[in-house]
Amino acid sequence: MTVTTALKASSTAPRSSQRGPRWSLLRRKSAPYLFIFPFVAIFAAFSIYPLVFTFRLSLTNWRGSGTADWVGWGNYTYLLSNPDFWASLANSGVLWLLIIPAQLGVGVLAAVLLNSTRIRARGFYRTAFIVPFVTPLVAIAQIWIVLFDQRYGVINGLLNLVGLPDVGWLTTSEWSKPTLALLFLWKTTGFVVIIVISGLQSIDTTVYEAAELDGASPFRQLWSITVPLIRRTIMFIVVLQTLAVFQMFAEPYVVTKGGPYGSTTTAGLYLYNHITVADLGTGAANSFLLVIIVMALSLGFVRLLRAKD
Amino acid sequence: MRTASVFRTRRFQPQIVSQVFLILLTAGFLAPVAWALVSAFKPANDIIADPLGFNPGTFTLDNYTQMFTDVPILSGFFNTAIVLFSKGLITLFFAPLAGYAFAKYEFRFKNFFFGAVLLTLMLPTIVLIIPLLLEMKELGWVNTYQALVLPGSVDAFAIFWMRQVISAVPDELLDAARVDGCGEFGIFWRIVLPVIRPGIAGLAVLTVMNIYNDFVWPVVITTGDRMQTLQVVLSTLAQNISGNKIGADYAHVTGELLAASSVALIPLLIIFVLLQKHFINGILAGSVKG
Repeated sequence: MTVTTALKASSTAPRSSQRGPRWSLLRRKSAPYLFIFPFVAIFAAFSIYPLVFTFRLSLTNWRGSGTADWVGWGNYTYLLSNPDFWASLANSGVLWLLIIPAQLGVGVLAAVLLNSTRIRARGFYRTAFIVPFVTPLVAIAQIWIVLFDQRYGVINGLLNLVGLPDVGWLTTSEWSKPTLALLFLWKTTGFVVIIVISGLQSIDTTVYEAAELDGASPFRQLWSITVPLIRRTIMFIVVLQTLAVFQMFAEPYVVTKGGPYGSTTTAGLYLYNHITVADLGTGAANSFLLVIIVMALSLGFVRLLRAKD
Repeated sequence: MRTASVFRTRRFQPQIVSQVFLILLTAGFLAPVAWALVSAFKPANDIIADPLGFNPGTFTLDNYTQMFTDVPILSGFFNTAIVLFSKGLITLFFAPLAGYAFAKYEFRFKNFFFGAVLLTLMLPTIVLIIPLLLEMKELGWVNTYQALVLPGSVDAFAIFWMRQVISAVPDELLDAARVDGCGEFGIFWRIVLPVIRPGIAGLAVLTVMNIYNDFVWPVVITTGDRMQTLQVVLSTLAQNISGNKIGADYAHVTGELLAASSVALIPLLIIFVLLQKHFINGILAGSVKG
């Protein structure tokens, strides 16, 4: 419908631009440059220029004011020999381990169920899953603070109801990471479910009929047919979520401030902390180390996918 | 297969197990939001004394009135609205335009420019924070709307996505318009945009959501109350809990916090419920196929 109306609209368009083939060819050649110009201008000003600037900055000891001394690779060697830097990476790594497997498991299972016509009220579930994704992170992080409060929180209230003792969800270093991981899972799993559903919809369903005839159980079908067929979607999610986990900043910033005892100082928050103390040279170097690590991880996952193809 | 036979017996009901699994899962997803929306109407002391209960007799708007007097939430909403409209319009116009150029034209340096898009897609936002902040200081833009709007106003993901969507538009359609004497921009405006309306709707919802929820950049570039967006206002309130800047007790601030969070949640929930079909289809259209 839209196609035909669009065609009609074009045929009634003014024909003033018909000024010979050479003119229109010239216009056609210059058009793409004009079309991408705004994007290139904004990118150059607010992405490329700052990126080049960051690299220069990472080779100095500038503190935001005064003179900047050239320190070469000093900031990099300082970070690489600094236990706090490695601790922040380790914190992000642990969060990654807590988040990604759980998210893939729940996400794929829920998506498969929601894609099956035998399940009732699918529309309702899809909406319910997406609600956390559309809620502002800061708002839900605040709610998390209240829910997981050690003395007054609902979660400990529920534990007490069944006779269990209080847990220091946000106040002990053993529980702070799982609690933060739960926030991240709650917030983003709905989005993963929707992406997996889109992957599932591209599968040719006749393979399942054959498997059914062979007597394969639902779990067997899930593991041996569905998962391999949506491998690309799964890898896409892993790359996307790896980027998100290693950049995780707002969650610990609002909920735990990186504590207790630095247990939730993620790589992203550690980087931000350099800015707050105006240690800009080190912060810039930290940025680049983080980019290199995140890109290496992403490329690693992409390769893993290619190797199996 | 032994397991297969287990699933085939009549007593095992996979549908019921699945249904229960989904109900529990969605209950978990909805519970925190529902709890916050309800608790915001409880007297502050009850929120911590009896977090699970709700007595309709004690229904109160105190948390809301208190929150409106203590926190500049209205100016937060106002700032967010301005950023939302200006940044949203820039993204929704220039991202499809650039996506159109990448999808349907051959030109020099095309791969170079598209490579730049892909590169920024992988770049953590936080990496650019330091130099962007310095750049804004240099321009004298700290605490201004242009600083809140311009950086990130043409998002790499939006361009990548629009290129995908526009690639699916048949070339014959564009050539037919060209034969009819339609100019190059006219083709984009009159043919491409109407045809990719579902993709644009999806992009619109995602963009609105991202801008509304954006936190990292606004928190860095705004100092003081006047220019803070809603999310920054909210996080400042949270810091008052530990710092107790308002000089209020824990229960009191918690009540305000829940009221403020509810106020921040509601506009997006309404947008989402109204546009959920476009939204979900939008994500489905934009994501990679298996």
